[in-house]
Amino acid sequence: MMIELESVNKIYNQGQPNEVQALYDVDLVIEANSMVCLRGASGSGKSTLLSIIGCILPPTSGRATVAGKQLSRLPDRFMTIHRRQTIGFIFQQFNILPDLTVQENISLPLLPLGVSPEERRMRAKVLIERLGISHRQNFPAGQISGGELQRVAIARALINDQPIILADEPTAHLDTKLSKEFLQIMVDLKKTGKTIIIASHDPLVTEKPEIDRIIDVTDGRVDVS
Amino acid sequence: MSPAFEKHLNLLDYALSSLWRRKMKNLGIITVFAGVIFLVASFQILTSSLTSIAETMLAKTPEIVVQKMSAGRQESIPLSYLNRLDGVFGIRAAVPRIWGYYFDETSGANYTVMGVERNAMPEGQRLEMVIDGSYPDAEPGGAALGREVAANMNLAGRRTFSLFRPDLSLKTLRITGIFAESTNLLTGDLLVTSLDDARDLFAIPDNLATDLLVYVTNPNEISTIAKKIAARLPDTRVLTRPQILKTYKVVFGWRSGFASICLLAALAAFAILAWDKASGLSVEEKREIGILKVLGWQTTDILTLRYWESLTVAGLAFLIGCTAAYFHVLFLEGSLFRPVLLGWSVIHPSLKILPVFAAGDVLLIFTLSVLPYLAATVIPAWRCSTISPDAAVK
Ligand SMILES: Nc1ncnc2c1ncn2[C@@H]1O[C@H](COP(=O)(O)OP(=O)(O)OP(=O)(O)O)[C@@H](O)[C@H]1O
Ligand SMILES: [Mg+2]
Repeated sequence: MMIELESVNKIYNQGQPNEVQALYDVDLVIEANSMVCLRGASGSGKSTLLSIIGCILPPTSGRATVAGKQLSRLPDRFMTIHRRQTIGFIFQQFNILPDLTVQENISLPLLPLGVSPEERRMRAKVLIERLGISHRQNFPAGQISGGELQRVAIARALINDQPIILADEPTAHLDTKLSKEFLQIMVDLKKTGKTIIIASHDPLVTEKPEIDRIIDVTDGRVDVS
Repeated sequence: MSPAFEKHLNLLDYALSSLWRRKMKNLGIITVFAGVIFLVASFQILTSSLTSIAETMLAKTPEIVVQKMSAGRQESIPLSYLNRLDGVFGIRAAVPRIWGYYFDETSGANYTVMGVERNAMPEGQRLEMVIDGSYPDAEPGGAALGREVAANMNLAGRRTFSLFRPDLSLKTLRITGIFAESTNLLTGDLLVTSLDDARDLFAIPDNLATDLLVYVTNPNEISTIAKKIAARLPDTRVLTRPQILKTYKVVFGWRSGFASICLLAALAAFAILAWDKASGLSVEEKREIGILKVLGWQTTDILTLRYWESLTVAGLAFLIGCTAAYFHVLFLEGSLFRPVLLGWSVIHPSLKILPVFAAGDVLLIFTLSVLPYLAATVIPAWRCSTISPDAAVK
């Protein structure tokens, strides 16, 4: 298995007046090379769960094991290293730097890895072509359309060939056609052996036949059914 | 190439391109920063240059000056005191000198009038070398002028001029030469005549002089001989060259110290400004740091990035500021700071200044400008980059 959570709790601002418990005793196992959807209403804790799986947030208590490493034991520095080796994150807001070109945005995760400029360009080019945005590769990211922007975000999540792809509400800003295209890209990626986790309450996603499993998140609790 | 080295190149490359992306803002900072460094560096170079000029020129002043004191004030010294120096071992020569200030009412300037017997002075012939023309003692009524005095008198080709004696009768002098430009710091306001002409101008009795100049055989014995003279002539003050140099340095040091404080204040104001600007990281900058963090950049990577950015800005400003300052002193002769350092008197020595840029000064300016700027920009980024990547992205 790829991901295993045991009694994971997440409390934001613990001990402060604005304390919020976002996750309650979450137990969850996700197999390698599966395509999973986290379904839940707004505020139910989907993003929080994805952030923990994505090694962005440590759990407040409980055990989270991702790709063989137990996160709560990792200091920040090593969590970052583990994250960039195993997780490709497609954010809800894309998190693209508008002043950089498409190609520069995509290769951003490679800079601190000491990858040379030529190799960065090459690796970005392969993904740019695969995602059909070659005509935009030297455009500033601030000047391209929403659908293209998301492909940039996908390419960036794939640049280091990470085994796990996380997508947070990926279809929220897309129309039906683009949403379907996105899901097709995910299905194709699954075929290359990746584990894919999508947080969404969009029926287009939840009703997609290729989804192996739907996990319902309700008020910070997960029903394993 | 090792990945660690390649990584640094990548970060440097990214730093330069992000500076370029915000070129207007960064150009603004560099301009202001370079301006401040320019002021501080100009001042430092000018100070060092003037100090070195003064030191070389003061090296030629008499070794010992003997002044008669009465009730704590200097007064004319009787020539008979010369005889009382006979037999002090080690004295090479002792000559009387008459000097004083002459206020020129038409131009409102003060001249320093000095009369000496050149032939009685050891190496007196050398005085000729600093004069374009000849020394004014070939025949009575000659005078050699400093450049500023000559310019002030509006001579327009005339070779003679007149000054008032204390009784308002006129004394006419003939110009025999002008002091060389290179000596202007000391000779600019000087009017040199023979001893007798100076005596005549100030109406000083024949048996008196302003002070006595004493030359010694062995420069190492200056202070011993000065002590002996002081013992023989208890009603005199004996000044030695090292003392004069020290006094000069104190006055000069005070002036430059005063200006330094003003400049440091400017520098501090800039540092506060930079801090203010940088510590309030803009929303975009914070977002960028958050994104980089969540993409797998370590805190140290972000700090390195910031460090390269700030070092480029500060380094460029430093280079521009220092170079501009060097040329300011070389070509404009530090015109911005001359009044502060040379005094506000009507007569400004206009000497040729060769920039002296001491390594210590460079280091000092670097420490006071570049380092605070680095701190002011890197520390806020560090504070921002240590927070959790998830908060940074939200
Ligand atoms: N950084 C934070 N600090 C404090 N509370 C937070 C923080 N992030 C999320 N929360 C709270 O935790 C709960 C779960 O939030 P989360 O973002 O995980 O939900 P979500 O299911 O992704 O919602 P949405 O559909 O709106 O994205 C919410 O009540 C939210 O207000
Ligand atoms: Mg969310």
